[in-house]
Amino acid sequence: MIFDDLRAIQLRYGFLPTAELEGLSQRTHTPLYQLHSVASFYPHFHLAPPAKAEIRVCADMSCHLNGACELRMELQRRFAGSRPEDVQIRDVSCLGRCERAPAISINDQILTEVSAASAEQMARRALRGEEVDQPHPEQARIACKADPYGDGDDQKYGVVRKLVESRAWDDVLAQLKAAELRGMGGAGFPTSMKWDLVRKQPDPVKYVVCNADESEPGTIKDRFIMTHLPHLVIEGMMIAGVVTGAKRGILYIRHEYAREEEILGGEIGRCYRLGLLGKRILSSEFDFDLEVFVSPGGYICGEESALLEAIEGHRAEPRNKPPFPGQIGLWQKPTVINNVETFINVPQILARGVDWFVAQGVNGSRGLKFVGVSGHVERPGVFELPMGTPIREVIFKHAGGIRGGRSLKAFAPSGPSSGYLPASLIDVPLDFKALADAGSMLGSGAIVVCDDTTCMLDMALNAVRFYRNESCGKCVPCRLGSQKMTDLLVRWTEGAVLEPQYRADLALLDDLALAMSQTSICGLGQIAPAPIQSVLKHFRAEVDAHVLHGQCPSGVCFTARSCAGEAQRVGIRP
Amino acid sequence: MVDLTIDGKPMRVPNGTTVFEAAGMGGIHIPTLCHLQNQTPVGVCRLCVVDTGARVLSASCVRAVEPGMKVVTHSDKILHARKTLLELLMSDHPSPCARQEQSGDCELEGLAKAAGIAEARFAKRSIARGEDDSSLAIAVDHDACILCDRCIRGCDEVKDNFVLGRMGKGYSAGIAFDLNAPMGASTCISCGECMVSCPTGALTNKGPAGTAICAGPGTEIFEAEELLQIPVFRGVSGTFLELNRGAIVKRRFRKGEVICREGEFGSTAFYMVEGRAKVSLSAPIAHVKTQGGAKGFFKRLTSTLVGREEDRRGEETRDRTIPIDASVDLSYGNPVAELGPGDLFGEMTCMNFYPRSATVVAESDIVAYEMLRNVLDIMLKNKAFRAQLDETYRRRALENHLRGVPMFADLPPEFIGHLKERVELQGFAPGQVIVQQGDTADSFYLVRIGFVKVLENYPGGEMVLAYLSRGDYFGEIGLLGGGDRTATCTALDHVELVRIAGDDFRDMVAKFPGVRAGLEAVAAERRAANQQRLQRVDSVPIDQFLSQGLMEAQSLLVLDLQNCTRCDACVNACAEAHDGVTRLVRDGLRFEGYLVATSCRQCRDPLCMVGCPVGSIRRRNSLEVIIEDWCIGCGLCARNCPYGNINLHPFEVLSDDPQNPGRKKAVIKQKATSCDLCTHLKEPSCVYACPHDAAHRVDPKSFFAEMLGGSGAK
Repeated sequence: MIFDDLRAIQLRYGFLPTAELEGLSQRTHTPLYQLHSVASFYPHFHLAPPAKAEIRVCADMSCHLNGACELRMELQRRFAGSRPEDVQIRDVSCLGRCERAPAISINDQILTEVSAASAEQMARRALRGEEVDQPHPEQARIACKADPYGDGDDQKYGVVRKLVESRAWDDVLAQLKAAELRGMGGAGFPTSMKWDLVRKQPDPVKYVVCNADESEPGTIKDRFIMTHLPHLVIEGMMIAGVVTGAKRGILYIRHEYAREEEILGGEIGRCYRLGLLGKRILSSEFDFDLEVFVSPGGYICGEESALLEAIEGHRAEPRNKPPFPGQIGLWQKPTVINNVETFINVPQILARGVDWFVAQGVNGSRGLKFVGVSGHVERPGVFELPMGTPIREVIFKHAGGIRGGRSLKAFAPSGPSSGYLPASLIDVPLDFKALADAGSMLGSGAIVVCDDTTCMLDMALNAVRFYRNESCGKCVPCRLGSQKMTDLLVRWTEGAVLEPQYRADLALLDDLALAMSQTSICGLGQIAPAPIQSVLKHFRAEVDAHVLHGQCPSGVCFTARSCAGEAQRVGIRP
Repeated sequence: MVDLTIDGKPMRVPNGTTVFEAAGMGGIHIPTLCHLQNQTPVGVCRLCVVDTGARVLSASCVRAVEPGMKVVTHSDKILHARKTLLELLMSDHPSPCARQEQSGDCELEGLAKAAGIAEARFAKRSIARGEDDSSLAIAVDHDACILCDRCIRGCDEVKDNFVLGRMGKGYSAGIAFDLNAPMGASTCISCGECMVSCPTGALTNKGPAGTAICAGPGTEIFEAEELLQIPVFRGVSGTFLELNRGAIVKRRFRKGEVICREGEFGSTAFYMVEGRAKVSLSAPIAHVKTQGGAKGFFKRLTSTLVGREEDRRGEETRDRTIPIDASVDLSYGNPVAELGPGDLFGEMTCMNFYPRSATVVAESDIVAYEMLRNVLDIMLKNKAFRAQLDETYRRRALENHLRGVPMFADLPPEFIGHLKERVELQGFAPGQVIVQQGDTADSFYLVRIGFVKVLENYPGGEMVLAYLSRGDYFGEIGLLGGGDRTATCTALDHVELVRIAGDDFRDMVAKFPGVRAGLEAVAAERRAANQQRLQRVDSVPIDQFLSQGLMEAQSLLVLDLQNCTRCDACVNACAEAHDGVTRLVRDGLRFEGYLVATSCRQCRDPLCMVGCPVGSIRRRNSLEVIIEDWCIGCGLCARNCPYGNINLHPFEVLSDDPQNPGRKKAVIKQKATSCDLCTHLKEPSCVYACPHDAAHRVDPKSFFAEMLGGSGAK
């Protein structure tokens, strides 16, 4: 595998020297350009020697709300005299530690809830060649309602044990259908339809892929699930395997989740020892192998077809659809690909029945939902809640309300992709339809909360900047549109313009939003206009104040707290 | 068949048709930038989007038709989206780009103009992506690149060159050559396919200045249309020829004029259309022989040139023909042949940059096309040209090549005639694997052009067994033996082969017991030699020797530095023994107390053999290097030897004087020589001459094994 080869070289030299890449090209008969095209695509690989202390400050939503901009600028000030080969400070896309913001990484070690002082101390350790580490917050196993098994290990995997004996495949699909289980990764596609499509494909080789690449700012629930319910993730994938006829499963996890990778690896090893994985599982005639694939990085890898491209060793560029992965997926074979949380719902439903599942929801919704809450709340974290719970209850009851006694201004129901809703819509329930009706979406369940000190134009710019940074660059509307939209919003935060210009800008933004949402290949480009569109819809007066009068009502823009400055960082040919 | 409606028009199209193609069949034009006929569609520019009633628009170039589909190709929404996409592209486009300036047909600028975009409303790119002027043939303007992927597919799919790719990510993405090398320093061969594929001014032709063959007297640059009238040029892209004006010229030579001279470097091939030419070797057909004069140990030795008739050496080739870089071979006894209309010569020089193998002189007034590698490469892939070349080869040289295989020499003419019709002519690109060790053998091959590397895998690594050149053959061991390939054969450069299918081969072996016996003898010999080599490789003492290249050697001259007084008697003796030209330099790698002197090491990977334009350097079965009589003295082997152990020995010979026809004059001709281990003497003269017992000729395997007390040997 190309990534294994590249990682081995990087492990040895700290980066990818040209001579080594040339040798690799000859050994593996891979054209040089192919090595360069992937090595230059993924943030995990360095084409030049890295600095002794590579400091990356997470710049996205939750960290931005928790002072990431000021932190980065303070660190730049503290290391102002350093040589570039010693210290490099850059921003980085969401590290997936939203509940312990602000997060940074030094030489790929993630540090959370850092202050400028603690970050500086760690960076100085890195400069001295010492290990950079932070004690991991104790996380005792939390008992989840979603777990149908008790504490004892021997009860686990009960559903799949029964299933390989009963071989009631149709019954599995019927139950998932009756439960109306939908994808929990964001798109909400009915799971039974996806599995049924793969099951009907005549191809003898099929795959099951678990998407554990959650990278949307604010999304932390899969990390929680993998920590506390690893056996349900694995069992869900095994069930998908036996039902659809796939003999191999791949769990694709983001590289920032090293601890979760370890937990899953341990559980997978245990399953192999118990005969739950491998050849002839549980002495049946079914084979199912499962491995963990560590992502070389990037939000776009969470797009299902881009994720498959990454596993195949290519640039993670989304495919044109149709055909869908269920028809032509990994290595051109029919592939079930679901989110972590979708997989854990399957053994729940099969173990306890559809009625139990339906009864877990409230206000007419079904099932349980893991929700990450971050931003300006007292107790950020992941909560296991009934589907249909009003967002007011999530923020005020479970997450402890707005921090410092301030008031709620806005919230994103699911990271930047869901756009921002005003405090007046706080009673909307966690539900696919209700949120869609409110012009937003349930998405992956990543509530980001903004208090009354937040500038919404600044937050829109923060979101579109994220899409700009994470665009793969394959198609024109997303590659160019995300940059031009960033340029436009930066201009809006730089000072007043005349009204005719503003009107022209708004018309241009509409044109751009139409082109991006209608012609982009994948969801990233299609959804990128959503944050600014939602802000224009719900917070128009605030935007007007910026553009027409050069004023930021929240006092964020035109100061260090704004992300306008960092948004200017335009990619150039290295 | 699939029924659908496009813009309200009912259509029936074959299954698997794309919406874009279906629309085209119905006369509906959909604009596009990234889609190019004959390339796999990628759907990245998104201009060809259509409405199929789905949540979002679909790119029609990648969308397959479905039964009952209702497609709208032109609605307000679609036109609006397309216009915005063009505006996005134009905002970063250096307008007018080089293409627009050169020929006024930048596809992006054309579409933008048609859509009524005067000036893009978006902010312009703030940091330029830069230009790359390093290639001689093609100018690269990264700012004009729209990442449509057409050049990449041109390089990969159309040409199999695999040089170009996308690099970086998002807005900073761009195209890159190899590991983001400047185009001119990359592995790009300037075939021009990327440039022909590019819709904008990102990849443009630098014009004839960069690619033109030096215009001289009798040179004409002419129009593409004129070329396309010539049968063999039919099917070549007119755009390509237009863009490569000057890379192919028509030339006229007067009777007696020299068209090319053996040993010279060049980069062009000639295709003759009128007249006759004489192709010959002017170098004497002889080898260097060292003979003794007066009596005594330090007798004065002289080197002279002698042919194989007077001085037959062991295992010397008995080939009756000398392979050259043309559609004919020369005979050993009379190395002269004629070339005429339809003949191509200089193919190896042009494609692989080897020295000219022979001298060509106009016998009458001649018209020929002289072309550079990019044009010849295109031509070799052109069916009409290819067919004619193959036909000429079958007619003029194939029989000689078949007869050149010793076992085939006595086959009856009818059978050779039968084989000539049955063989297949195949081409291979540099690096391409022809047969893989362990695969089932299904054919026998004769090398027609280029070099084939024969490499065997051993438990401890790989070893080059041979470099095969024109007239050599391979594949018989696998066919006769267990049926599996015993070695991997790879094209070292542009290679053309004659393939005899396994069935025909077996048929022949069955019919002619003599052939079988001969082949089996050779195969047994080769297997034994391989076995011997295998043992040698197996007992390599330590990696260090390998890395120093010492173990590559079959025989070494080592100087015991404790005894050596640096008196240089060995070097003097070598020079004495070889007409004053030493083949030994008292310098080289040191190991423990020994100096490994620079003299021919009879390497495991004999790089000296790569590229000999006339195939006159090769290895005896004893692995010693032998230089055959028809060496033209071009010196390539001397340059290729990494140890500097091949030298050129000058001789004065009489040759035709071009100034005074009919008279001879003395000219200096060179012949390559390497250490011959003084086989004409009892002991190498260097060893014999050493007054301190410090010089030894040793077999590295036993020598180092002994020196290390056997500890390193497995």
